[in-house]
Amino acid sequence: MVEKDPEVCEQIAKSLDILVVQGDGSDAHVLDDAGLTRADVVAAVTGDDEDNLIICQLAKEKFNVSRTVARINDPRNERIFTELGVDVPVDATGVIAKIIEEEVSFSDLVTLMSFRRGKLAIVRIDLPEDSPIINQRVQDVALPPDSVLVSIIRGDEVIVPKGTTVLKAMDDIVALTLVENEKQLLQSLIGKS
Amino acid sequence: MYTIIAGCGRVGSELAKLLVTEGHNVVVIDKNPKSFDRLGGMFNGVTLVGNSFDIELLKSAGIEKADAFCALTNGDNTNLVTAQVAKKVFKVPKVITRIYDPSRAHTYKSLGLDVLSGTLLFASMLRDKIKESKLTSYLIESPEMGVLEIPVNSRIANKKIKEINIPGKLIIATVLKRNLPDERNIVIPDPDTAVEEGDALMGVVKTAFLSEIRKTLGL
Repeated sequence: MVEKDPEVCEQIAKSLDILVVQGDGSDAHVLDDAGLTRADVVAAVTGDDEDNLIICQLAKEKFNVSRTVARINDPRNERIFTELGVDVPVDATGVIAKIIEEEVSFSDLVTLMSFRRGKLAIVRIDLPEDSPIINQRVQDVALPPDSVLVSIIRGDEVIVPKGTTVLKAMDDIVALTLVENEKQLLQSLIGKS
Repeated sequence: MYTIIAGCGRVGSELAKLLVTEGHNVVVIDKNPKSFDRLGGMFNGVTLVGNSFDIELLKSAGIEKADAFCALTNGDNTNLVTAQVAKKVFKVPKVITRIYDPSRAHTYKSLGLDVLSGTLLFASMLRDKIKESKLTSYLIESPEMGVLEIPVNSRIANKKIKEINIPGKLIIATVLKRNLPDERNIVIPDPDTAVEEGDALMGVVKTAFLSEIRKTLGL
């Protein structure tokens, strides 16, 4: 852990059993003190995009760290992070905005997890009684492209869906889908989007 | 020349004024609009307020047709990111970056950026002034080499250049002839050029051998 603020460093050192180095993370000497030559991954998560970028570049170019993860504060900078060689840019603002959006919108679809920088998601959809696919077999449900049903939770039972599995009202469906196809998925499972 | 300058501090504003005076097109970018006060009332270039590595802002600054780009904000990391955006995203032909931290300057120089470290430059310049008479090491941007001005004294007068050169340590690059009219004053010598008392020689030296060189030449 590298942190600029001495007070924060002290707090972290007291509460966590980890090495804390006080200093500017974009200074090569500080990174060296933190043992970057032995690091497998570097995560740059400061509040300044330019600092996060430079930390990742120094890690890669000077210390041969193979994987760099960086927080993007201003979503407009995402392209720059990719162009300048950050392996995994994480758009913090976007992630929070998405969570808030989900919480405030009354939705039948809940994102459980997303990967590939938010392009792919595991979602949960609860089948209401008026869903058009109640009593249909899984193989007869027209799913959008790049979406699959992963499991059906029925009461305490977890069912791995097969083509012949029949869907019931109140089933909780867990599906893997491209985020851009979420609306179509919802449409085909509950009949509205 | 169409030049974009990121950062309107003392250096940025001076450069902007110089270039505009010479008739070049200049766009200056700074986060803080008050910084543009430094440009003075006569400045007729373009000023833009914003983050210097914002792609949209750079496009509106005309970066796609820029010939040169200087990253001169007061943040090293901002300059490094800005310069790389100019170079890699927009392929500006000439991109120059000012870096305060010499070690960061060194790293990014080896990664192919055209980096100037004012800190190192000024420190070496001061060192030269304090420690070495007539040695200039800062122009070459390496502490290992320098340019030494050698007044021709009786010890080396009438010698040929090849007799003065010390292989691996000193090579005479220029002779300033004192007895020629101004326009012919600077002579790039060949090995057989002879020097006369009163001339001055500009030699490229390895600074590690400086005292030895001075001794040999009787300086």
